[in-house]
Amino acid sequence: MAIVNLQNVSYKYPLTETPVLENINLQIEEGEFVAVVGPNGAGKSTLCYMLAGFVPHFYKGELTGRVEVAGVETQDSTLNEWVLNVGLAFQNPFNQISGAKYTVFEEIAFGLENIGVPRSEMKERVERALEMTGIGDLGNRSPYSLSGGQQQRVALTSILVMEPKVLVLDEPTSQMDPIGTREVFGVIRTMAERGMTVVLAEHKMEWIAQFADRVIALHEGKVLLEGKPGEVLTSDLLDGKGFGISRYTSTAREAQKQGLWQKDTELPVTLDQAVEGFSK
Amino acid sequence: MPERLSFYVKRESILHRLNPLSKLSIVFAFIFLSFLSPFRWLAPALAIPVITLSFVGNVQRQFLNIALKLILPAVLFMFVMQSIFLPGGETVLFAIWIFDVTLETVEKAFITVSRIFVMISAFAILLLTTHPSELMSDLTRRGLPGQFAYVIISTLQIIPQMQAKAQTIIAAQRSRGLDTESSFKKRVGALVPLVGPLVFGSLVEVEERAIAIEARGFTSTRTKTSLYEIPDTIFDKTLRWSLVLLVIIAIVSRIWLS
Repeated sequence: MAIVNLQNVSYKYPLTETPVLENINLQIEEGEFVAVVGPNGAGKSTLCYMLAGFVPHFYKGELTGRVEVAGVETQDSTLNEWVLNVGLAFQNPFNQISGAKYTVFEEIAFGLENIGVPRSEMKERVERALEMTGIGDLGNRSPYSLSGGQQQRVALTSILVMEPKVLVLDEPTSQMDPIGTREVFGVIRTMAERGMTVVLAEHKMEWIAQFADRVIALHEGKVLLEGKPGEVLTSDLLDGKGFGISRYTSTAREAQKQGLWQKDTELPVTLDQAVEGFSK
Repeated sequence: MPERLSFYVKRESILHRLNPLSKLSIVFAFIFLSFLSPFRWLAPALAIPVITLSFVGNVQRQFLNIALKLILPAVLFMFVMQSIFLPGGETVLFAIWIFDVTLETVEKAFITVSRIFVMISAFAILLLTTHPSELMSDLTRRGLPGQFAYVIISTLQIIPQMQAKAQTIIAAQRSRGLDTESSFKKRVGALVPLVGPLVFGSLVEVEERAIAIEARGFTSTRTKTSLYEIPDTIFDKTLRWSLVLLVIIAIVSRIWLS
């Protein structure tokens, strides 16, 4: 059975007329890595907040349809219980630092303290999480003295340590420089390899193509396309809608018009795919 | 990057090892004794044990620094003001314009400021020898609402961050020609484009931070645990009960003697 199950879901924020999400149907299997792409305002963040329970529990508003994670419906649950199943990390690393803790180690333990994990188990879990995300050497630093990429990895670790069943990431690298982006995707890669169920909203197509099992293209609150990354991210249906197609895809498309790209070869999204395609 | 807002000095001392609640009890014992004792001269006398405490905690230099820069100037100012403006008294020492400075008002002012000195100094020593998160997690364990503790601790950390952000906004607005250095009137006018982004930006941040801590089970109904074990020895408990007893004696004797 799918771990995430959305059926005919529509949602309106309070005091608004038009729905942000309309008739969304989405099933995600355990261990699946799903990427959500779309222009600004397409509803990516709202979808993330919905999966993480903040819609409707935090933002209120009007939700219709069924939102189910691990067999529980969001309307029947509370945010407190919901966050134990679904972990959420978002764009601004600075705002995800609790501000209540003086070291990275304490910061990561914050969530476990809140949900009442015993002390010895807490230490073990924090150490394991630090090692998994490769920031063990930052344990004694102040979370505020770190770079953006490091802070974002601390934020991710703080969520992972709570061992959620589903990890939701809302553009975790949109405020990162290239080095920070690589660091954060390093952690995401580890999650994907460990078979974690991940939902990632992201603009950076080249990175998505490397991890995602499935891509969902959102446009104006509706699912425009859904399928394998190679098909969705290179589709001409995304043209002119602000999706930000990979430069390798657009280059290969130009080449195709000139007859320089093999007809039966799939269009590339990443550099490696482009190199491979052009050398045929 | 500005320093975080904390007086805490890491040292090895009996005072550092004491349970935070015991230290808080000492502070309140000092306050109650200096304000409620029937012997008015106890307040200035209590300054001696307070200063001694700073030596016990091995923070005498930091304490002296705070005392000279913060506490004494404020207390001196109050002393002068009260001496001049408090009414009453018969033994006129000298007169300033229409105000008589009398022996009685000087005495009264001296005792009032001694009380304030003792109160602020005791708090300063508490803050110098106690890590804020240790204090808060101990109090949370004893039933202080987690939200309250969070507000205190996060404010201590977030204020320096906001100062840094204010500096960035000032630099950004100045680079667009905002005048922050000439006449007073212009500077006051310059506040609007500085405060606006800071306040509205912070409001947006509050929402995100609320989501972030909520995602980490902040409002969970389960009993919270703590990463660190905070020692609470028999000595701590004995000390606290003795202090309570001392304060009760002070209050009772005051009622008795008046």
